[in-house]
Amino acid sequence: MRSYWFGDVVERGCIPSEGNTDARVRRVLSLRTTMDDFVPLDWEDAVACGICRDREEYLSILREVCFAVTELEIREQYAGKDVELLQMVRTLDEIDELINRLSDRVTEWHQVRNPSFSRKYRRTPAHVLVKNIARSNKGALGRVAVHVEEFSTARTELAKEVSNRANRVLPNTSALIGGLVAARLMSHAGGLLPLSRMPASAIQVLGARTALFAHLRTHSPSPKHGIIFQHRRVHNAPREVRGKVARALAGKLAIASRLDYFQGVPVPEFLDKAQARIDFLGRGGGEE
Amino acid sequence: MIRIGDVLVSKGEGNVYGERMLKGARVWDPFRSKLAALYYTGTGVELLPEMKVLYLGAANGTTVSHVADYTEVVYAVEFAPRPMQDMLEVARRRRNIVPIMADASRPELYAPLVEVVDLLYQDVAQPDQAAIAIRNCAFLRPGGHLILMLKTRSVDVRKLPAEVFRETVDALAAAGFAVQESVWLTPYHQDHAAIICTKPGGSP
Repeated sequence: MRSYWFGDVVERGCIPSEGNTDARVRRVLSLRTTMDDFVPLDWEDAVACGICRDREEYLSILREVCFAVTELEIREQYAGKDVELLQMVRTLDEIDELINRLSDRVTEWHQVRNPSFSRKYRRTPAHVLVKNIARSNKGALGRVAVHVEEFSTARTELAKEVSNRANRVLPNTSALIGGLVAARLMSHAGGLLPLSRMPASAIQVLGARTALFAHLRTHSPSPKHGIIFQHRRVHNAPREVRGKVARALAGKLAIASRLDYFQGVPVPEFLDKAQARIDFLGRGGGEE
Repeated sequence: MIRIGDVLVSKGEGNVYGERMLKGARVWDPFRSKLAALYYTGTGVELLPEMKVLYLGAANGTTVSHVADYTEVVYAVEFAPRPMQDMLEVARRRRNIVPIMADASRPELYAPLVEVVDLLYQDVAQPDQAAIAIRNCAFLRPGGHLILMLKTRSVDVRKLPAEVFRETVDALAAAGFAVQESVWLTPYHQDHAAIICTKPGGSP
């Protein structure tokens, strides 16, 4: 017996499968074919099966089934909880870059218009400066500055959303380093599954690509941390234990990401021990 | 193949990806499509109206749409969801494209859907391109053609493109394919080669 999408072809004749698109979709998804002694289908068997009358009808029914299967599979691929988070965090990082660049540019432009303006001896934060520029300039400059401000507002909102979503999608990882940084780690790895497959040493230097390859090529020292430096326990740690903290944290993150992928719920007994260990090293303790 | 002057075209509904039109026909750009580049090098397999094609690595459906203009039916296999979304849109407008979302290196997953084809076209960015072609050979009729677009840099960036090329040709020949022709697609595509084979047996 040879099984195809439209039915089973037996020695004399053909047994059609159930005759609607949904049933055929289920059949296509459940068929297990092996390629040993495989005989490709002959569309005329489908006619013998009573599925269709001619070639045109055969292709039209086949297409209908294939569209349904494909749409189902695309939906399944996108249904992974990490897929949207990936887009969100990448958008966030791109907005950041855009805000930085444009506020710099707008400031330069403003300076040209106002010969007496200088940032020296002033501690005006960039966003306040952009606000002032938006208020004091007419025309395109003012309008661009307004847009930069609006992007800042959208950025704040998006950052909150990313953080909340990460707490749900990556509960353990987020508990260790915060939602935003957890989401960035995942984005760099390319998704939750690739992140959970990474060794701790790779997670430790994720996002430090330039330094890592400089180290591999020349004799420069190896990077101690990549994205995880953004977490306070790494960048607040005293210089001499920073590498140690980063290494321990990365080790715990590797475990956490696997818990996130396979269980998807916070595991307090793991988290408590991991937090204690990292804090202990951060205070300069440790036997290593 | 249809040419207007020196320009390769195909006849069908336009505006699939913003392609230029020339006297009502769709211009098939060799810099965008490797298959078009192959025809511009002066070789390739003539696409005929009664042909059935299995297309591995359909991507956004750009080249697929041109192939579908020439042939009877195209089974378009693509693995990634994002380009597949675009492909579906192309397939909705062209009644002779059958979209299949599957990994080309696992033909058993789409074997119940595909019939025997006259042309197996493969353009996948995978390291084991010869192996994928050999596995899909079951769908090719004896005497049918295989066009393999070899992305040498996807196979192994550390090896010289020429070396990858030779190894692939050898692997195909060892699997029983009769290698007819192999050309580099420069200047249209860097480090890409096309290998044309026939499956032995039957009438050519």
